[in-house]
Amino acid sequence: MSNIEGPVISANGHISRSLYSNCDKTSNFYMIGSMGLASSIGLGVALKNPNKKVFVLDGDGNILMNLGSLTTIGTIKPKNLIHFVLDNGIHESTGGQPTNSNQIALERIAKAANYVIYKTGSPTELKKILKKIENLNGPIMILIKILQNSEVGKRIEIKPIMIKHRFSNYLKN
Amino acid sequence: MKNKNQERLCSFLLDNGIENLIGVPDSTLKSFIAQGLKKKKNIITTREEEAIGIGTGMSMSNSPTVIYMQNAGFANSLSTITSLVQLYKIPLLFIIGWRGYLKNDAPEHELIGKIQPELLKLINLESRIITDDNWEKNSIWALKKIQNGMPCALIVRRMKVE
Repeated sequence: MSNIEGPVISANGHISRSLYSNCDKTSNFYMIGSMGLASSIGLGVALKNPNKKVFVLDGDGNILMNLGSLTTIGTIKPKNLIHFVLDNGIHESTGGQPTNSNQIALERIAKAANYVIYKTGSPTELKKILKKIENLNGPIMILIKILQNSEVGKRIEIKPIMIKHRFSNYLKN
Repeated sequence: MKNKNQERLCSFLLDNGIENLIGVPDSTLKSFIAQGLKKKKNIITTREEEAIGIGTGMSMSNSPTVIYMQNAGFANSLSTITSLVQLYKIPLLFIIGWRGYLKNDAPEHELIGKIQPELLKLINLESRIITDDNWEKNSIWALKKIQNGMPCALIVRRMKVE
């Protein structure tokens, strides 16, 4: 994520913890609670910041809790929304229980909801996709098949109100 | 609240800084929502929590937002309100239609409607009941709250059962 320029809304659990540990920026909005809502928060940010590319860093468990959000996004069609779904097929943060993404193709649901979709499991291919979408209109979903995380990031030490303030200030510029 | 006053409420909020109306339809708020649709400031979501998420993104982008819902949807959203809106102090203005205020309302509203005032108190979300007579005064109160960075709620009671 270090090469990405733009606001990032990251889902609660291990996703936000990893992002915080590896690439903390004021342009990151880390969710702590409110599971499932990363894509919705991202939609709100995208609609109000049409000149910025807005990135949502979601998980399979997270998006499955808010599938309706795909239909809202696909109806409004924000051109500047890029929705990553890190799909490891489990609820990793709660102990590795399976999600339905092993049985159901999330990218097909997203496609039916008017998203442009990409799916990959390879870092090299992901780089190519990121290049390809530079001049493409969204909403775009990039479904990334990943393995279980071997290293869990540290807990987010910034107070939620501060996370909001610095993110909001970043958006003003 | 009378239909005309619901329309006035909607226009008043839009004339005084509110830029977005987001929520799940509720029959008690029908005229309020219709006015928002007419003014093209409305987004209808699939669930109330989704509306709160979108509103949070907009509010963080400095765009004042109203989230509307029925009290049943408010109950759905308790965790999102406590772990997002209140935890991050997101100044959203909630407008909540209150079913189950009357004792003879439909059965699904009875229990949740009865505890609606308690739910607001328990999570410490400041609220005012609005009527045909006081909606303007209480709207000004709510707009001030969100200007000061605090979420709050305006409650519209369902006064007749059809």
